[in-house]
Amino acid sequence: MGARGVIGAGSALAVIVSALAASAGPRPAVEIQTFQFQPAAVEAATGTAITWTNRDEIEHTVTSGDPEHRSDRFDRRLANRGATTTVSFTEPGVYPYFCDRHPSMRGEIRVH
Amino acid sequence: MNTQIVVWVGAISMLGLAGCTQSMAKAPAHDAMASHAAMTSGTKAAELRAGLNNLFSEHVYLAGAATSAALGGREAEFKAAAGALDANSVAISKAIGSVYGDGAEKAFLPLWRRHIGFVVDYTVGVAGNDKGKQDKAVNDLVSYTQDFGAFLASANPNLPKSVVADLVKHHVVTLKDVIDAQASKDPARAYTALRTAAGHMQMIADPLAEAIVKQFPDKFAG
Repeated sequence: MGARGVIGAGSALAVIVSALAASAGPRPAVEIQTFQFQPAAVEAATGTAITWTNRDEIEHTVTSGDPEHRSDRFDRRLANRGATTTVSFTEPGVYPYFCDRHPSMRGEIRVH
Repeated sequence: MNTQIVVWVGAISMLGLAGCTQSMAKAPAHDAMASHAAMTSGTKAAELRAGLNNLFSEHVYLAGAATSAALGGREAEFKAAAGALDANSVAISKAIGSVYGDGAEKAFLPLWRRHIGFVVDYTVGVAGNDKGKQDKAVNDLVSYTQDFGAFLASANPNLPKSVVADLVKHHVVTLKDVIDAQASKDPARAYTALRTAAGHMQMIADPLAEAIVKQFPDKFAG
């Protein structure tokens, strides 16, 4: 393989690595801090796994639906500061959620 | 001016004087210099401290007015007091929002209103002589102190959760004393308890103001 071939192969590899990095992207994350889901609304592609991290010194939950209309998609407890949970979203749609202990805390995942 | 109005005006004047006397009497010796500074200086830190003290003591007096009206079966007065109490709640949440932003303000207001709901539950339990309801409300209030402590600890690292929770627990206990005295139709005890409960709020307002100033020294400098 000549010098030109090596350069060509190197460029192709760089493109592939760059594409893989872009598809992995920054993993969407939600921080729970001062009794808020931050950000409150997250846009995500189908198949995305979203991680919540509790930064408050109290138990919160990530419960699908809203206090008046719960759904059974997910209901995770984050017992104290530092606790995390991850949920994968495999179907497009809008997924509202709330904290069961503090029902005024609301969030939404928009999967497309 | 008829006799009844004269009596009311006199009573209101007496309340005003009592408020001034209380303000002067409640300042502990160790805090005299700080209180003097809060009253005489025009610094932003002093304004914050005075503002929070005003809002928190107002909270207690309005809560006491609402529970008194509720226990006395004075519906119109209860509605008016409850409305004023909620306006005070909104003002407190705006004070929080002025420091920590809109999101914190929106998160704080329902959290704060929640404890008022539990106090209403307790009052209803006392009015109906329902011990189970009273006990549940007290348990809810004690549990709530942990939430309130966690909120402020999350907003401000200078406010340990356990310390805030203990202070709020004392607020709950002092307010419960007011309601119990009102229910037993002992006005002297009720008003003494009300002064104690209102005075205690300085124990929450002062550390909160100091912690905020410590967290944002530039915002409250000068």
